Amino acid sequence: MASLTRNARLIWRVWQFTMRSFLASEFFILTAVLQPIIFASIAFFLFQAGGDAAGEQTLLYAALGTGMMGVWSTTLFGCGGAIQWHRWEGTLELLVAAPSRYDMVLLGQTLGSSTFGFYSILATIAWGMLLFGMPLNASFPLLLPVALAVAILSLATLGMLLATSFVLYRHANALSNLLEYPVWIVTGMIVPLSLLPGWLGPISWFLAPTWAMEAIRGSAIASEPPVLAMLICLVLAGVYYLLARRVLRFVLDKARRDATLSLA
Amino acid sequence: MSVTTATAHQPAIEVDELVRTYRTHTGVIRRRRLDVPAVRGVSFNVASGELFGLLGPNGAGKTTTIKMLITLLLPTAGSARVMGHDVVKETTEVRKRIGYVFGGDRGLYDRVSAMDNLRYFAELYGVDPSEQKRRIGALLEMVGLTGREQEKVEGYSRGMRQRLHIARGLLHDPQVVFLDEPSIGLDPVGARELRQTIKSLVEAGKTVLLTTHYMFEADALCDRIAVINDGLIVAHGTGADLKASVANRTIVEIETFGVTSEAVEALRADPEVIAVNIEERDQSQILLVQSERGTQIMQRLLNRLGETRIGKVVGREPTLEDAYVHLIATTSGADGSAARAAAVSV
Repeated sequence: MASLTRNARLIWRVWQFTMRSFLASEFFILTAVLQPIIFASIAFFLFQAGGDAAGEQTLLYAALGTGMMGVWSTTLFGCGGAIQWHRWEGTLELLVAAPSRYDMVLLGQTLGSSTFGFYSILATIAWGMLLFGMPLNASFPLLLPVALAVAILSLATLGMLLATSFVLYRHANALSNLLEYPVWIVTGMIVPLSLLPGWLGPISWFLAPTWAMEAIRGSAIASEPPVLAMLICLVLAGVYYLLARRVLRFVLDKARRDATLSLA
Repeated sequence: MSVTTATAHQPAIEVDELVRTYRTHTGVIRRRRLDVPAVRGVSFNVASGELFGLLGPNGAGKTTTIKMLITLLLPTAGSARVMGHDVVKETTEVRKRIGYVFGGDRGLYDRVSAMDNLRYFAELYGVDPSEQKRRIGALLEMVGLTGREQEKVEGYSRGMRQRLHIARGLLHDPQVVFLDEPSIGLDPVGARELRQTIKSLVEAGKTVLLTTHYMFEADALCDRIAVINDGLIVAHGTGADLKASVANRTIVEIETFGVTSEAVEALRADPEVIAVNIEERDQSQILLVQSERGTQIMQRLLNRLGETRIGKVVGREPTLEDAYVHLIATTSGADGSAARAAAVSV
C-alpha cells in the first residue's frame, strides 16, 4: 500500500513538473496554441465546403476530430521530445540512476504530454464557437469529462510504449513525425472510418486514439453512451502499460550495456 | 593491481578487476566492429568515511569507472559493490545509498527554477514528503544558494550550477557520494568554495569518491589517491607516498621562446635526464626537466638547447604534480601494455 501511494505521488509530481516544463517553453506553447487553431480552421472550411454536411453536429464532429489531431501531435512530440530533451539536458542518466521506478517517471511524463495536448480540444471548440457559430450541446455532458480522462490515459500509455524506444535509440524520435499523419487517418480523426478501405479497420482497432475519438465523439454527439469505447480504451491502456514496462526493462538493460544513456 | 585498505569494517566501495570495453563501428558500407577498452582491470577499496581520489588525464577511464559504480554502465568483466550491494544485480539498493554529482553545464533543468529542480529530484530520490522542505532549505543554505532558489537555472553562473548539482546529489542524504570532476570550469574562488564543501561532506561522515585531473585538488582533499591511465591504476597511495616516488629528483624549469622539437629531443637524449615535459604559455614554453642532479647539470642542459632563446631558469623540489606528470608520461602506451607493465605501487 505504501508503495502504491508512493508511486501515485511520484506520477503526480512528475506530471506537475512536465506541465511546468512545457509552460516554460515558448516554442512548445506557440506550437500548442497555434496548431489547433490552424487545424480547426482548415477542417471547418473543408466541412463548410461540403454544403449540406456542415450542420451543427457535423461541425462539432469536425472540431473534436481536429482537436484530437492536436492531442495526438502533442503526445507524440511530447513523448519523443521529452526523452530527447532529457538527453540534451544530461538528465536522462540522473532519472535512470534514481532509486525511483523509471516506468513510473516515464508514465508521469507521457501523462503530462497528453494532458497538455487536451488543451487542443478546448481551443478547437472555442475557435469553432467563436468564428463558425458552432453550438456546444453535448449528448452526455457528464460523460464527456470521463471520456476525456480515459482518452488522456490511453494516449499517454501509447506514448509511453513509443518512448521506450526513444530511450534506447537517440534518433528514434524522428519516427514520431512519421507516426503523426497515418494515425490521424487510420483512427478516424478527420475522415470517418467507414470511408476508409476495409483492411485498415483491424489496424485501427489496436490503436487507442480510435477508441478515444469514438468515446469523446460519442459523449458529445451520439445517441448512445460510448461505454464500450471507453472500456476498450482502458483495456488498451493496460496492455500498452504492461508492454511498455516489459520493453523498458529490456531497453534499460541494453542501454547500460551499450552506454547510450549519456549520448546527446 | 589492488588498492586495499586494512579496515575492520566492510569497505564502502569494493572494486575487483573491473573491465569495461566500448563497442563501436567504423565505415558505412563496410562496417567494422571496434572494441575500445576504457577500463582494463581496476581494483581498489574505499573505506567508509574516506575521501578517495581517482586521478588521471582525459580518457583515462575515470568517468567510466564511476558510471559502473553508480549502476549506469554494466561492466564487461569484474565486479563492484557499494555499501555491500552488487552494482549489477542490486541496482535499486545501490541507488538508494549513493549520490552522483558531475561537473559541467548539463544535468539540470534550465527552464525551471532551482527550487523546482530540487523538489523534482527530491521526489525521484524518494525523500519523505514531510522532510523535503527542510532538507532542500538546509542544502540551499549549505551551498550558498539561499535567496536565489526561485530564479531559473538558465540564468545561473557555472559556479552556481555546480553548487546546485551538489545540493541535488545530496538530497536523499546518501552514504556514498561520487563527484566526477566537479570543479571543471570553475573560477579559483568557486573551486576553493567547492573544496570546502567537499571537506564538509567528509566531516559529516560521507564516503566520497572524487575524480579530477587537478593534482593540487586531489592533494588538498584526498586521504588516498589512485592514479589511473589508459584504463589501469598505475600508482596509488597518499599524496606523500606519490611525492616520494620522485623525491630523489630535482626539477629544472627552463623558460624558452620558440623551442624546437629537435632541441627538446636533444634534452631528452641526455643520459641523466629522466623526463622532459612541456607547458605551453602564451608566448613561451616552460620545459620541466626531471633528473637526479638537476642543478649540477644545468649548464649542460642549456647547452643542449643550442640557439633556443632562454628566459628564466629555476631549480626546485618536485611537487605532487611532477609525480603525476611523471607517472602519466611513463605509463602511456598506444595499446596500454606499457601502462600494464609499468604499474607501480608506491
